[in-house]
Amino acid sequence: MKDLKHLIYFENLLENADNELVEQAKAEGGLAIGYTCYHIPEVLLNVGDCFSVRLRAPRTGSIDIATYYMSNYTCEFARALVERGIEGGFNFLDGLAGVDACSMMNRFYEHFEILKMNEKPNFFVTHTDMPYKIEDYTVRSYVKQMQIRLLDVIHQSYGVDVSDAAIRKAVEEHNEVCRIIQEMAQMRKADNPVITGYEFHIINLVSYTCPKRLILPYLRETLEELKTREPDVKPPYRARVAIVGSEIDDPGFTKLLEECGALVVSDRYCFGSTPGREVLELKDDEPALEQICRRYMELSECARYISDEKVAQRRETADRLAREYRADGIIYEQMKYCDFWGFERALVSHIMSEEKGWPVLSIDRVYNAKASGQLRTRFQAFVESLEIKRIQKGGRS
Amino acid sequence: MADIMNAIGRTLDLANDLPPIHMPDVKLPKVDLPKVKLPKVDLPKVELPKAETVKKKIAGISLPKFEKKVKYPNPAFFKAKDNMDWKAQGENLKEVGGIILQLFKECDWKEFVLRQKNGIAADFARIKSECGAFAAMTPEERKDIFLHGEKQLGKLYRSGCMATVRREWRGAKDTAYDFYEWLHMWGMLLGTFSKDLVPALNATFHYRWMISYMCCVGFMDKNTLGQKGSALRMSHLMIYDIFRYVAENLVFLAKCDAKNGNSAELNKKVVLFDEMTMGQIMAGFPDLLGIPYQLMPVFLVSEIDQLTCVPYIDAVESFGLPADTCPVPSSECGALVLDALPHMGACFISSSMPCDGSVMASSYMARRFPDLPVFHLTFPVRYEYEETVADAAEDIKACIRFVEEKTGAKWNWDAYFRNMKRFNEETKYELEKWEVNKTPYPQIIGPAYELFRKWNYEMDGGSDPRVPKTFRKVDKIMKQAYERREEAWRGKMKYRGIVWSCPAHYYANFSNWIANCWGVDILVEMESLNFTKPLETEDKELALQDLARLYERMVMRRHTNGGYRNVVDELWRQCEAWNVELIIMYQNVACKNMSTLQGILDEQARDKGYHMIWIEHDLMDPRTVSRKSMRAKVNEYMRTVMKAEPVDPSLVEFDDENAM
Repeated sequence: MKDLKHLIYFENLLENADNELVEQAKAEGGLAIGYTCYHIPEVLLNVGDCFSVRLRAPRTGSIDIATYYMSNYTCEFARALVERGIEGGFNFLDGLAGVDACSMMNRFYEHFEILKMNEKPNFFVTHTDMPYKIEDYTVRSYVKQMQIRLLDVIHQSYGVDVSDAAIRKAVEEHNEVCRIIQEMAQMRKADNPVITGYEFHIINLVSYTCPKRLILPYLRETLEELKTREPDVKPPYRARVAIVGSEIDDPGFTKLLEECGALVVSDRYCFGSTPGREVLELKDDEPALEQICRRYMELSECARYISDEKVAQRRETADRLAREYRADGIIYEQMKYCDFWGFERALVSHIMSEEKGWPVLSIDRVYNAKASGQLRTRFQAFVESLEIKRIQKGGRS
Repeated sequence: MADIMNAIGRTLDLANDLPPIHMPDVKLPKVDLPKVKLPKVDLPKVELPKAETVKKKIAGISLPKFEKKVKYPNPAFFKAKDNMDWKAQGENLKEVGGIILQLFKECDWKEFVLRQKNGIAADFARIKSECGAFAAMTPEERKDIFLHGEKQLGKLYRSGCMATVRREWRGAKDTAYDFYEWLHMWGMLLGTFSKDLVPALNATFHYRWMISYMCCVGFMDKNTLGQKGSALRMSHLMIYDIFRYVAENLVFLAKCDAKNGNSAELNKKVVLFDEMTMGQIMAGFPDLLGIPYQLMPVFLVSEIDQLTCVPYIDAVESFGLPADTCPVPSSECGALVLDALPHMGACFISSSMPCDGSVMASSYMARRFPDLPVFHLTFPVRYEYEETVADAAEDIKACIRFVEEKTGAKWNWDAYFRNMKRFNEETKYELEKWEVNKTPYPQIIGPAYELFRKWNYEMDGGSDPRVPKTFRKVDKIMKQAYERREEAWRGKMKYRGIVWSCPAHYYANFSNWIANCWGVDILVEMESLNFTKPLETEDKELALQDLARLYERMVMRRHTNGGYRNVVDELWRQCEAWNVELIIMYQNVACKNMSTLQGILDEQARDKGYHMIWIEHDLMDPRTVSRKSMRAKVNEYMRTVMKAEPVDPSLVEFDDENAM
């Protein structure tokens, strides 16, 4: 296929947290609010002059200093962020919206405070409490946390308008991004898609890490380009796979997988498009904040949700996405040392295989996976096994 | 009699029917009575006692209590009818018999006989050496040994053995007392199990963890090693209560288990709790039986027998669970994978506490027992945010409704308040222990106390009316010992220490070793320092909020959740309050909440000038870090940094790899 016009530009944007568009927004008076987790509704960080930056630590090398602080048995994503923070890579931020959802990520936010990584006068680190299940009172609690521990803090620190009207305005912009990403996602259902998993991963990531207002023109243009893009005559992939699991902000992971002959058709992981890129439909007769919070809770696929219906939802979503996107198999992955996905992966990879009949590859991985020879071998073996299964069923080779 | 009553009744009825009678007004004449002078009488002077004296006397009078004495646990629970499937038991026994036969056949009998011979020879050599050493002593030394006990406790261990070579000689009086308590414990165990012996015995043919409980008395010995006098007495009192609770619950587990007693009658009343979830909520359901489900099969037994959880951990890791997860939920999930947990209960209260691993274990439970109704008790992690308290109380209300719905029982506020008053009283006694230990003459230290505090706070929680008596007895002994300025570890009071983070289950008596070997006295440990505010016992809404606060501050969670200040700043505050110089900083290699703060803790300890000994362990898996390796960390630090000499050099190096 012909290269996408902005792909290299997008790749470059992902080389730094403090990328060109972030710098531009800051120069225009914007306030960069960092966050890492889906539990913080992204749209609430885009009120008034604020813009959200989902934090990554691209080009991570050594994480020795963070390992001294956090030991070597903890999430590499959290450690990579601490390392990057100590290096000064997040000095551009004006605030950090934390969630106390998983202990290791929580400690990243806390190290930000303890080690005084950002000493701007109004800089804040806020910690919000997250529910484990959906009940009337937990929804109320979530709304309260977002109001008191997030919106009020933003307002008190910078005088930003956090009113209902401001939130609704942010939702409009957010929805446009989501519609574009969703339309691109749908293209992956085709037999011979006009977009690869890697390209989609890159585009989705820039939508999380760049100011919405500034990335939107590029996204619109890319969508138009995709509509007329001609796929290769012979599909380059040998098997279609759906990915389910914990945080992946490294497009190198998808690239490695696709180099092994797979096509990633579905991305049900943190930083992926499910959940995260769903359009938020707001009613006029209820405060926007309440509607957003409830919707985020409903859509969340985080393994931290303990209630039975959410456990079932996660399994159903994985199964549904794999079917809708016509995957040949599912890859259950987890960031090494992630407790939530460690338990979830071990159990559900069995359930998906034994009850739902999906071929499943179950892996744990380091933060920077692209250099992993071990992963490459496992991906190759999985793709091969999927290919053999299809041949045995009489499909194309 | 009935006829008379009827006649009276009829007369009264007749009287009511009679017409009113009007009496005529009659005026009576005035009568003047003669005046009489009474003689003077001199009364003897009586001196009234002073008000203070009266008050004291009144306080001294013990009025009879008319409160109805409630038997605990409810005897009906023991008497509930069992429905054992004898055919299935027969098949199981056949299978067990087959395994034993196979073991018998495959046993290397030559090697076995050789080992026995070596064991006997080693015993003879030991006896000879001990007799020789005793003979070589001066009369004063002999007298000292006779009265105050032996000094080299390391000699009690032998390489490869599961138990010590003999019981400890603590001096004539304390050995006699210790032996009495040993008998007392066995008596209680036999008495409790005999309340329904068959299912309990049968459980040993189904669950390997039941076998480990056979050595629970050895666990008692391990926890009291080196203790004498008041310290020994207090330890025995406390450990007795714990084992009574364990024995009773083991009987209940066996009675309820579908594979054993299969008592439908009892199962209707049983509410199961997730690991480490506190039991106080059951105080409002006096007719139900709350059982911490994994406590006996996994959690506690791993403290008694260091190797119990190894097969569970291996099973779940083979299943696919990463090896870096906390061994508590891992072992529990492993036990589920191997079907090593009883099938029982009317419902299950799962919980998000204390950490991320615990949250996830509940999905394994649901997988094993899909028909068991589950309520997920989930409290805010940022528990110090006041705006979250009302929501936490809502969760408790929802949990109460769930239990009512699944069991048909009704929440009883009177019962709840009664138990919480008892719990408040127990907490008051606990605080007094802390006050004594903060002085230069700490009295109540050692693993038995550490275990008792956690058990009382988490599991008992004021429900057992027998426990306050133990508190009172211990309080009395402690205060008397304090008045006499006794040494809790006679001749071994060299350093004041605090334990931070979670201790290794497989080395529950580590604080005992460190006191006996190096004279480091652990005055308190992190897991004991929890919620001590008296719980509300009048207002219902406030009571639920207090209960939520209590649950949020459960063991471990109080410190590892809600922000780093609860574990980092809190450590320095406690070090100051207890006047400690040495911190035993455990590092459970799989505890993410603690290990993510290791650098900060290390840096700040250096800045503040505390001695901090980092001791890695893997909580329930001694293969990762052995007991010996844990001791080596202390030995190294004490020798190289503290330049100290061991109090008992025989305990510096010894082999207990196979010991329970």
